[in-house]
Amino acid sequence: MKILGWTCTLMFLLSVGCSGDKPTTAGKTGGPAPKFTLAWSEYPSWSVFGVADELGLLNKDAGKQGELEKKWNVDVVLKGVDYDTCIQLYGTGEADAVCITNMDVLGSATSRNSVAIFPTSTSVGGDACVTVGIDNLEALKGKKTYGLAKSVSQYAFERILTARNLNPKEFPFESMDPQAAATALQTGNDSIKSIMVWNPFVMDTLKKVQGSKRLFDSSEIPEEIIDMVVIGKDSLGKDGSKRFAQCLMETFYTINKRMENPETRDATLVALGAKFSNLQLEEMKQVVTQTKFYTTPAEGLALYKSDKFKNTTMPAVVKFCVENQIVEGKATVGFDKADSQLNFDTGLLQGLIDGVESK
Amino acid sequence: MIRRPIPRWLAIALGVGGVVLLLTAYSILSARQTRKNENQRVIPGWQTFKEGAARLVRPQGSAEDPQPSMLATDLKATYWRLFLGFFTGVALSIVMGIAMGAYRFIEALLAPVMSFLAKIPPTAMLPIYFVLVGTDQKMFTAMVALGVFFNMAQSIYQAIAGEVKTVSIDKAYTLGASDPEIIYEVIWKQILPSVLDNLRLQIGPAMIFLLAAEMLVGGEGMGFRIRMESRVLNMSVVYIYLTILGLTGLMADYGLLWLRRWLCPWCVR
Repeated sequence: MKILGWTCTLMFLLSVGCSGDKPTTAGKTGGPAPKFTLAWSEYPSWSVFGVADELGLLNKDAGKQGELEKKWNVDVVLKGVDYDTCIQLYGTGEADAVCITNMDVLGSATSRNSVAIFPTSTSVGGDACVTVGIDNLEALKGKKTYGLAKSVSQYAFERILTARNLNPKEFPFESMDPQAAATALQTGNDSIKSIMVWNPFVMDTLKKVQGSKRLFDSSEIPEEIIDMVVIGKDSLGKDGSKRFAQCLMETFYTINKRMENPETRDATLVALGAKFSNLQLEEMKQVVTQTKFYTTPAEGLALYKSDKFKNTTMPAVVKFCVENQIVEGKATVGFDKADSQLNFDTGLLQGLIDGVESK
Repeated sequence: MIRRPIPRWLAIALGVGGVVLLLTAYSILSARQTRKNENQRVIPGWQTFKEGAARLVRPQGSAEDPQPSMLATDLKATYWRLFLGFFTGVALSIVMGIAMGAYRFIEALLAPVMSFLAKIPPTAMLPIYFVLVGTDQKMFTAMVALGVFFNMAQSIYQAIAGEVKTVSIDKAYTLGASDPEIIYEVIWKQILPSVLDNLRLQIGPAMIFLLAAEMLVGGEGMGFRIRMESRVLNMSVVYIYLTILGLTGLMADYGLLWLRRWLCPWCVR
């Protein structure tokens, strides 16, 4: 399997080399490349940055540059760590940018003003309630569902029940680490028959536990759980920060193009799978239907400009966070409002579409 | 001069000085971080601690359905789990350690297995606990108890091998003592100080096992809260919990020292 993975990566590398549309060295401003750090964790649309490092588009080390880093004259340092560690690195200022969800970022934004520069994907089935021996919501009533409290799992659980006109209070939610919950369900212990987890645990559980069932999932609340890239406002004030942001965007959309291209699609998915719980091609094909990528700047921009996202989704997410004491007081959320704690900025995406290269 | 005694007042003053030094160092670090970002919560200032503490002791729930504060809920859950697990583990290990130290065939049967299991952190065997005892109170008790049990049983049995001389046992037999009498009068009384010393050493690991388990499983307890709050960088809450844990360890340590002095005044180390 490892050999297959390497072969595919190699083929992929060759295809990149031969495809001829290498980004041109645009001869950006001279001088030493300023250093910026991105913290990412394994997730379908975030492992993209790990793959970009393998492909040579970026170089994860400080002092070394990949193709796109040279093009934009920045030194991007990639820190591939655990998700919780990402949040902490970003919160302490150790990372300039972070891959984070639209919910968890609210906690960070109250201590560090943040700018969401582009969305990477949304969960449409990637978060699910998986049960054993419980076939409908009526049967789930009063039985404990296990998942990580104060996370997108609990948010999706309560949101979907509310959307179905049910009272979440009748469905107890007990905190457990998603991996532990998936393990516990697999052991067949009587005390645990329902879990609310994210991928890869959803797929893994459905595959391994006989009689397990996807009771409901985030496909009922599309474009509510958003994975994105966020930069600290302080970091955006630094020299070269815009080039850093543009470099990250171009990296993301370049890999997306590889996924669209039939010739490089499978190899790209295999490379992503190697950085997402070691999933194989067939599983990755399924994963990307449940985690829908925003494959172009236009798609990303459409989300940030959508009335539903602005006026319904984000206020609901903020409300959930306040009710569950994830954030103390309200985190101010704005769209193209520089003074809000979390600002969804469309400028960079628009700039990319217009082909304007900022200095 | 090396090991020259210092007066008691100076020892106390230096002890207090150490604490002051720690607090001052923290204040400086916090102020430095605040200069970088005035909203920072990573190394919170004392004011932020006050707010964190206020949040911790605020009653939860609604007017119709009042719930105790987060701190009360967490302390109750964690200490009950710790107490139950620790004492189960210790009680079992005393029985097992003495049995191994007293009877060769039990020693031969169990010593290698015990020494093997003592090296494996119980948190790494989570799925086994799920299968055997489920995911609630029993799991925490079992995890702490077994985490303490293997190490403790091993050290008790080694204490017997090292400290109880065969000649004392022979003497007791000569004077007509029965097996139970020898175990209590000769073995137990001699190893009691070692048992108490080992108890002190086990408090740390027991707390680590429990907190690690709480971080993964369950919706209350100090481990759970530390994970939840550090995820959103509410470090003021986290540091308060860490301080409580530190003080717990300190108090347990001194408590056991005092217990040893009281139970075994003859043993001076």
